[in-house]
Amino acid sequence: MIAFQLKRSSRDLVGQAILILFPLILIFFFDYLYKNINIETGMGMGGQSRITALAIGFALTFQIYGSAISFETLAEDLYSPMHDRIFSSPVDIRKIIVSILLSSTVVSFLQTSILLVFSSIILGASFPSLPLVMLVLLASVVFNQLFGTVLMLLTGGVKTANMVTTIYGSIVPMTVGLYFPLPQTAFFRILRLYGTPMGLANTASLAVMEGQIRLFLICLASLLLLIVLLFFCLRPLVRRISI
Amino acid sequence: MGLWSQWAGKTTCIRSIIGLIPIDEGTITVFSQNQDGKNREIRRNIGYVTQEITIYEQMSGRDNLAFFASLYGMDKQSIARRIEEVAQVIGLEGRLDDKPKHYSGGMKRRLNIGCALMHRPRLIIMDEPTVGIDPQSRSFILSFVKQLAKEGSTIIYTSHYIEEVEAVASRIYIMDSGHMIAQGTLPELIARIQGDHFIEVEVRIASEEKKQQLLRLPDVKEVALEGTHYRIVVPGGIPVLDKVVLILSEQGLVTINTKQPNLEDVFLTLTGKQLRDEVPS
Repeated sequence: MIAFQLKRSSRDLVGQAILILFPLILIFFFDYLYKNINIETGMGMGGQSRITALAIGFALTFQIYGSAISFETLAEDLYSPMHDRIFSSPVDIRKIIVSILLSSTVVSFLQTSILLVFSSIILGASFPSLPLVMLVLLASVVFNQLFGTVLMLLTGGVKTANMVTTIYGSIVPMTVGLYFPLPQTAFFRILRLYGTPMGLANTASLAVMEGQIRLFLICLASLLLLIVLLFFCLRPLVRRISI
Repeated sequence: MGLWSQWAGKTTCIRSIIGLIPIDEGTITVFSQNQDGKNREIRRNIGYVTQEITIYEQMSGRDNLAFFASLYGMDKQSIARRIEEVAQVIGLEGRLDDKPKHYSGGMKRRLNIGCALMHRPRLIIMDEPTVGIDPQSRSFILSFVKQLAKEGSTIIYTSHYIEEVEAVASRIYIMDSGHMIAQGTLPELIARIQGDHFIEVEVRIASEEKKQQLLRLPDVKEVALEGTHYRIVVPGGIPVLDKVVLILSEQGLVTINTKQPNLEDVFLTLTGKQLRDEVPS
């Protein structure tokens, strides 16, 4: 079943290309724009290059848009005539949901990985402590997929979920300081570092590359906690649609 | 097998039988088991062909068949074997590796049916499986349904096309406004209505005098004369054709048509409504 869902999730080649090429273009564009300005990562980048920070930032941003992979796939099964076909079978609907979430996570994580590889090869970004960075990015993917799915199940359709994730994906990168420097106040510093799930993932990624393991662990643990919370939100929602 | 008018509640009825929606009162027994909506054993033995085409257009025909079979717990080897059998039955052998978005409407309908047959269900429920397809595909599906029935499958087939029901149904259930109003074989249902028969006679030269003569026949209820056409109404089952022919033979007979009551007349008599497509007000 997972193989089928994996194939299904990865069939939209145009969508995949957009989620890989568009951030690459943006990374290149913002790198060019900020050549003479220090980008505000809130991390004191130290030895890390701007392009690395941008690559992480845009990878995390486009993971938010990538959450549509799971909820749009799920909506096709749950909120269309396909519902009756699937629910008339003896399959446990949780199996379907888990397989879609897993396959969408794999696809979104692959997009992120390809983006990092291209950023490294084409734009010269470097990623110290790559396995731990990837761990953070994986946690972020899982969060975003669960977040989109919970939204979709809560609202009973893709329309609101799409709208919320689009707005969320537009605003949150700004709070992380990805597009422009933020004011140097305590409020904005906290917002940038810990205020959003994307902020936590961004901080954790940059921290581990800087060797700040304590900060990395705090942010990753917070992100994992959010994932657990979303998982608990998901359970009653799945039960509600199960027969 | 059944006949329903549109908006009769047929999909609701089917969804209740499958256990997709709860029922307000009463019980539904399927395979001698109570359908409470949670009985997976019942679902395991039902193949549901939805009215809308419910296949994944972006996945190949083979992937579709395999996926829906996997929902019924079939293992990979059995699925691979069964795909070839089903593909042959639905006539898609050479097109299994194509995506349904490249199929014709009829081919999609056939794949839609094939997906419901993969797990060899004891009961096949087909909800208007021929809606919106070309005559060849419709004919293919009807023959195929008859073949399935001949092989021993139990099929619930819903349609508001009379000719389809007459062609495939061994037993007919008529439903209207959420109620099952009649059931039986086609001859049984027709016998229930005792409807009038119509005799239409075209002659070379018609006359009012002959019309009056026809009206004087003891079993004739009504005679209408339009141009050179007589339309004679007689109670069902009364043999008067020979007497009609005798009276009109001097007028120069051109054509004679008799019309037996059909399923549409049964429906009309029982519900007072035409089988219709419009939304009720």
